[in-house]
Amino acid sequence: MSPRLRLALALTALAAGLVNLALLLRAGGDRPGPLAYLLVAIVGVSWSFVAAGLVAWSRRPSNRTGALMVAVGLAYSLNGLLLGGVTLLRAPLAFALWFLVATLPEAVLAHLIAVFPDGRATTRLQRVFLVVNYATTVPLALVQLLLVDPASLGCPACPDDLLGFGGRHPYGDAVLAVSDLSLAVVAALLLWIVATRWRRAPGPRRRSLAPVALVGVVLVVVYMTGQTLKAVLPADPPPALQVGFDMAIVTLLVLWPLAFLAGLARTRLDRSAVGDLAVELSEAQPPGRLEQALARALHDPTLELAYWLPDRHAFVDAAGRPVQLPAGGHDRAVTILRHDGDPVAALLHDAALDDDPALVRAVAATARMTIQNERLQAEVRAQLEEVRASRARIVEFGDSERRRVERNLHDGAQQRLVNLSLALGIARSRVGTTSEKEIAVALDEAAAELRLALAELRELARGIHPVILSEAGLGPALTSLAERSSIPVTIIAIPTGRLPSRVEETAYYVASEALANAAKHAHATAVTISARRQNRDLQVEVSDDGVGGANSDGSGLRGLADRVAALDGHLRIHSPAGQGTRITAELPCGW
Amino acid sequence: MRVVIADDAVLFREGLGRVLEAAGIQVAAQVGDAERLLARVRADPPDAAVVDIRMPPTHTREGLDAARRIRAEHPQVGVLVLSQYVEPHHAMQLLEDGAQGVGYLLKDRVANVGEVVDAVRRVAGGGSVIDPEVVAQLVGRRRTRNPIQQLTDRERQVLALMAEGRSNQAICQRLFLSPKTVEAHVRSIFTRLDLPATPDDHRRVLAVLAFLRA
Repeated sequence: MSPRLRLALALTALAAGLVNLALLLRAGGDRPGPLAYLLVAIVGVSWSFVAAGLVAWSRRPSNRTGALMVAVGLAYSLNGLLLGGVTLLRAPLAFALWFLVATLPEAVLAHLIAVFPDGRATTRLQRVFLVVNYATTVPLALVQLLLVDPASLGCPACPDDLLGFGGRHPYGDAVLAVSDLSLAVVAALLLWIVATRWRRAPGPRRRSLAPVALVGVVLVVVYMTGQTLKAVLPADPPPALQVGFDMAIVTLLVLWPLAFLAGLARTRLDRSAVGDLAVELSEAQPPGRLEQALARALHDPTLELAYWLPDRHAFVDAAGRPVQLPAGGHDRAVTILRHDGDPVAALLHDAALDDDPALVRAVAATARMTIQNERLQAEVRAQLEEVRASRARIVEFGDSERRRVERNLHDGAQQRLVNLSLALGIARSRVGTTSEKEIAVALDEAAAELRLALAELRELARGIHPVILSEAGLGPALTSLAERSSIPVTIIAIPTGRLPSRVEETAYYVASEALANAAKHAHATAVTISARRQNRDLQVEVSDDGVGGANSDGSGLRGLADRVAALDGHLRIHSPAGQGTRITAELPCGW
Repeated sequence: MRVVIADDAVLFREGLGRVLEAAGIQVAAQVGDAERLLARVRADPPDAAVVDIRMPPTHTREGLDAARRIRAEHPQVGVLVLSQYVEPHHAMQLLEDGAQGVGYLLKDRVANVGEVVDAVRRVAGGGSVIDPEVVAQLVGRRRTRNPIQQLTDRERQVLALMAEGRSNQAICQRLFLSPKTVEAHVRSIFTRLDLPATPDDHRRVLAVLAFLRA
């Protein structure tokens, strides 16, 4: 809130109060009657609420409590002005005007009480209450003015037909009864809201509700005592007593804003929660509990805690699921916790907490170690999740490899051998019945089938495990792979000497899978393979001139990535559409 | 006699066709998948169909399903299913709807031309043919309580031949025994294994196989 607006509001309240006092002097300065008390009360209450409200507003600009308090004060001022006007002018229209807004101050006050100390409706019940609450002000008054005899509304001087709507009021009593009932409903709802809040409020929050509740309860008690005395005593109570009760009520009403202010200050200074949090965090926490502890410390049940995973460049929750940070909306705010400038975690909380960034920082600082811990745990869980997925893929890959081998055997060598049997069977059945020449033809067919069967078995065995790789090492194996390839392959570099067998096997597998992809999917016309030692790694790179756009989530490349990851290596796939594919694997050799 | 051959391996089915033709069996058609096989059989039912179990599109058990369809739609057409490996489970499925005119043979049997020709003739004539390999698997299975051990060696031979779908007469020829001796063996086997005696060969195959599988 700008200082100018604050000044304008203060001046408005001051001016309205002065006018009210002037009206008071004019209306009955020499003979202070009930109206005089009323006006003094109104001016006092109004100034008190506006002043306290402005203080609250400037201290906690984003909390609407201050604004609501100013509104209560101004509503009382307006009410006083109109009331003074009615008394002075004695005009029916002035009465109608006053009557319309007569209950507004109490309605705004009820609003303030209902949403204190958040300053905004957070539950459905509160929202329902606000609607009903304001429905009993101007709309209800309008209905009353239209349907009820003005005399029974407190204006004996008014004509029957106050708003020029015809003068009969057949439903007047019913309307009044409904009005009383709706006011009772508002009062009951307010009581219910306050009671529920009190019951559910955690300790620190109760402390902020306490001053308001205390003054409120005293107010009700004093008022009820006065009413009871009036009813019980045979005659009217002595004027002194009457004035005493009225003064007490006015005094309490004037003091109430200070109670609101005090309550607000107590939420602001709720540092005890930080201490509670420190104690709670010193005990071992099951995963996910930290979020609840922070939510309690900051009185924000909607608080979420997200951990930063540097590997993934993303925030995740305690279970390792990705979390999207809000894009700076109205209700949600984000506080990023950093360590040495790097993000560690993010608190996603209600924007109302931005009122007190110091508290949020204090809570975050208290929880820093635990947050670091949980972040590491979340990271480990995310990695575990990845390992589980990759293990499942490896098993699935093994199964599908076995299916492929079975299929190859069945359709290849086995079928050849069946054909061979058939050819031999035919040859045998011809012995003695046809010429030797024909038998020789059948035997030649059998021999051809046998050669094919042997070739296919060799090919299959090499696909399962290339013997040259274990016998002679990666260099000769890659050379052999290049020689047998259906696409021309240029070998740029091959390592001399032997490497750990797991590294050799993975490197060979990367090369042969990349080569198979280049032939099968990329329609490449040339491939280059290089395998060279780089520091402590073996770097294998296979490039082709094919169509590119390789899908790194396809089962082949996924399997490659898993195999490379199993050696703690890295696999990079660079495959822009139309520009060929380059697959690079870095395999730590541990020498 | 007229047969249809269904196998997606062209070389094999042509070779088999030559073998059958040489034995005086007319090959009415050669097809590469189950759909064409069913179409041919429906258009002009042959005496028998020789069907490879694995055919396009999935290369799993198309031939087996087609064989059962043929048995259901054309009970007079014998079906001989060939496979590169044998599974008692497949054999039992094939026999589920009756053992009449059904055969299940390892493809390797083509090495003995006479055996294949014989099998085709048997299913065309309404007999049953179960590959000795299937029977050997079932007979050789380890059992906690093995009633087969109560049988004599000779009875075990007779049991296996019954399980292969051979008639008494065929068993006589195989084992060089007189019909009376074979009948005595059969009776003795049925008594010892506590099987209900059945006069007809098809139900005898089923009873014996069911016993072996149980």
